[in-house]
Amino acid sequence: MSIFEILTPLSVLLCFLGVFIGIVMGAIPGMTATMAIAIFLPLTYALDMIDSIGLLIGLYVGGISGGLVPAVLLNIPGTPSSLCTTFDGYPMTKKGEGEKALKVGITASIIGGFFSLTILYFFAPVLASVAIDFSSVEKFLIIVFALTVIASISKGSLLGGIFSGLLGMFISLIGTFTDNNEMRLVPPGLEDQLVYGFSLLPVLIGLFAIGQILQESEEGMKAASHQKIDLQKGNKNTQFSFKLFKNQKINVIRSSIIGTFVGMLPGVGGSAASITAYSQTKNFSKNPEKLGTGEPEGLVSSESANNGLIGGALIPLLSLGIPGDSTTAILIGAFLLQGIEIGPLFITSNQDLWSGIVFSLVIANIVMFILMFFSIKYFAKIVFIPKYLIFPIIVVACVVGSYAINNGVMFDVWTLLLFGLLGYIFPKIGVQIPSFLIGFILGTEAEKYFVDSLKGSSGDLTIFFTKGPIALVLWILIIGSVTYAIIDSRRTKKAAEQNAS
Amino acid sequence: MKKLLMVLIIAFLGAILAACGSSSEESSGDETSEANEQNGGEEASVDLNRIRVLIGSSSTGGDTYQNADAVSRYTEEVLDTNMKVDAVGALRAFDELGKAKDDGSTIMFFHDMAYLGVEYGSFDEKDELDNWTIGPMVSINPGNAFLTSADAPYDTMAESAEWLEENPDETITVAVEAGGVSEVTFDAYYLWVEQEFGTEISDRIHAYVTGSQEDKDQALWDGNADIIHGSIGANNQYTEDGVEDKIKMKFLGVSASERVEGFDVPTFNEQGITVDGEEFVFDKEFFFLMPKDVDSNFAAALDNAVAEVVENPDYEEDLNTNTYIVNHRPAEEAEEYLLEKRDKIRSVIEQAPDLNDIAK
Repeated sequence: MSIFEILTPLSVLLCFLGVFIGIVMGAIPGMTATMAIAIFLPLTYALDMIDSIGLLIGLYVGGISGGLVPAVLLNIPGTPSSLCTTFDGYPMTKKGEGEKALKVGITASIIGGFFSLTILYFFAPVLASVAIDFSSVEKFLIIVFALTVIASISKGSLLGGIFSGLLGMFISLIGTFTDNNEMRLVPPGLEDQLVYGFSLLPVLIGLFAIGQILQESEEGMKAASHQKIDLQKGNKNTQFSFKLFKNQKINVIRSSIIGTFVGMLPGVGGSAASITAYSQTKNFSKNPEKLGTGEPEGLVSSESANNGLIGGALIPLLSLGIPGDSTTAILIGAFLLQGIEIGPLFITSNQDLWSGIVFSLVIANIVMFILMFFSIKYFAKIVFIPKYLIFPIIVVACVVGSYAINNGVMFDVWTLLLFGLLGYIFPKIGVQIPSFLIGFILGTEAEKYFVDSLKGSSGDLTIFFTKGPIALVLWILIIGSVTYAIIDSRRTKKAAEQNAS
Repeated sequence: MKKLLMVLIIAFLGAILAACGSSSEESSGDETSEANEQNGGEEASVDLNRIRVLIGSSSTGGDTYQNADAVSRYTEEVLDTNMKVDAVGALRAFDELGKAKDDGSTIMFFHDMAYLGVEYGSFDEKDELDNWTIGPMVSINPGNAFLTSADAPYDTMAESAEWLEENPDETITVAVEAGGVSEVTFDAYYLWVEQEFGTEISDRIHAYVTGSQEDKDQALWDGNADIIHGSIGANNQYTEDGVEDKIKMKFLGVSASERVEGFDVPTFNEQGITVDGEEFVFDKEFFFLMPKDVDSNFAAALDNAVAEVVENPDYEEDLNTNTYIVNHRPAEEAEEYLLEKRDKIRSVIEQAPDLNDIAK
């Protein structure tokens, strides 16, 4: 069926608008795609289904993609799923390659987006059926697999990295345990504030944004070296070219597959997608030691994976009625408001709407690419804004974002400031922030699936090894990933020692 | 024209949000209350330009959100104000309702879990019904149900107990959520089996405690649970013809007093499920809660507005789309009814097993 027969001009316009607003919200630290969709959900009641889908899909794609901008330029992940984007994106900015980094990221995003869209369109029902074969045991093992990235990104100190990750997991468990609604690990006197634990967003942007501002303030307000680079005069290295992707074919496909696949698993968050993809890129890279120092390779993997998860998360939603992540959980609400039941028969009984969703995704990805690719040179100038001007703006954006994330909870602002302070102290005492955050992001999911697995097996721990072939394959991947990381860490250490002598 | 206006509103809102984050509900509440104070607070109900409706669920896809959304959309027109449904979850909703101003700018919409949670100890004692002003009751979700895999050897809850009796080596694990409507209906089933068939049979019924509907569905597909709690609205999609065998489910019974129109699912009562010899019927009902000392003008205005809304055929149609039905009781009657319902259910809860003891 023709695209024009299904999509109305209004739905295209709304999709365009959605992408724009999504990008802006994704770019503001503390605002996410989930939040953008939640805010606009009530408005969709007045629209036709196809028009509201255009708007919501636009917001979704824009929101996920916008997170790239502050991650690359300011070392602040705009959304949790762009955490790994900072690992190589910001070092590139520091080398004066901010604009190039953004263009690499955007190109990787659209490739990841289209890849997952193709998979969604052709294989949705089959894959959804595979996704529900992943029980809590396999989901737990996938989270563990994602956690192995801690071993590969621990710079210098493997033990330090593991400790940081465990500390992050520990802190993520503070709050109410939903199985019995009882609080645990909450310090006395903070029961009211910590009933739900620390919110992810304030922790994330506190550690990155506020922590970094404190660190840089310590160094003074003089312009950093990368702020003095003249982009116009830049040498060849700082220029973006699509040729860059020539050597990234396997990386981009692998990362998009990982993104789509992890996104497809209900209940496994989007952040796990880019974390897993990044870790595998590092494991398979010819120059693993360069990742984390400003290699486009790392950026490509993180961005293609986090856009890949969009199509992935829509697979179980549209073919089973199960949301793949928190954002798609809100999308269900949009369908229900219109009285449309999403379930196993959705695609066959709503062919037009199904095509509309796919077409909206195509349009949203293209609009995202055009909007971002051609406005990037203006975005990239953000890095030239003097620190004494940009820092207060970042602080305000972070505070507003944190306050708004749970609809106005002041404790989230305190969380932001507390973790900002920790972000300043952690590097000084050897706690690694990325590992800490990965532990924090994946901690609750790891616990949930660990407990669920044990509930299903009446407490028998051997279930993790005996569940079936998928579990065994995952164990092999986990062991392989950890072994590789240890060998790599030793090699790097030796090389460093040799250099020193 | 309406659509164009819609687009403009969205663009405008987007610009505001992008520029300054999200507008804060609390500050708008403050502004309105200040405005009310200046006006002597006499016309509180009509003066509020925004009413925040907290719901006891954090999901925007669940029955609480849908019922809250429908009633709010129609009530705001009658009250000539804006009502915004805020899916903050039960603990936070109670917390914020406790701190809310008495002008009606923050109210709550929830169902029976509001008091069941207190009875089961999931919510604080201070959140019990007596400490709020109970508002009008608006609707029922008659589809509170239990389901199993399509190929299970029993077709009703009663048959599942008989099956256990005939197969002494078998067990049944039921996925439920702690402290809610699903636990109380499970308790009734458990007590009935214990009283009717003896502890030898009921000891072979286990609980698999989990949270969301998706988790319960997945527990059934994983084989971690044999029976799950669900609802006609949320689970009917998996029972229809054409659904893959692997995920296909069938209903075992609904706890409501009457069958849901259009569905061939017997009620607990029809299956003979009783507790202490009395039929067990449990309708999942939705109602408003307000701060204890809420402005009486506001409470009356809300009560009247809801009474008008429930007469609106469009509202009824909206509810029916998702298999909910209108069930209006004015505030005064709702209070009496709910307190009585709670007292009745207390005896079930007192006799019920601790989920920790029967968890698998």
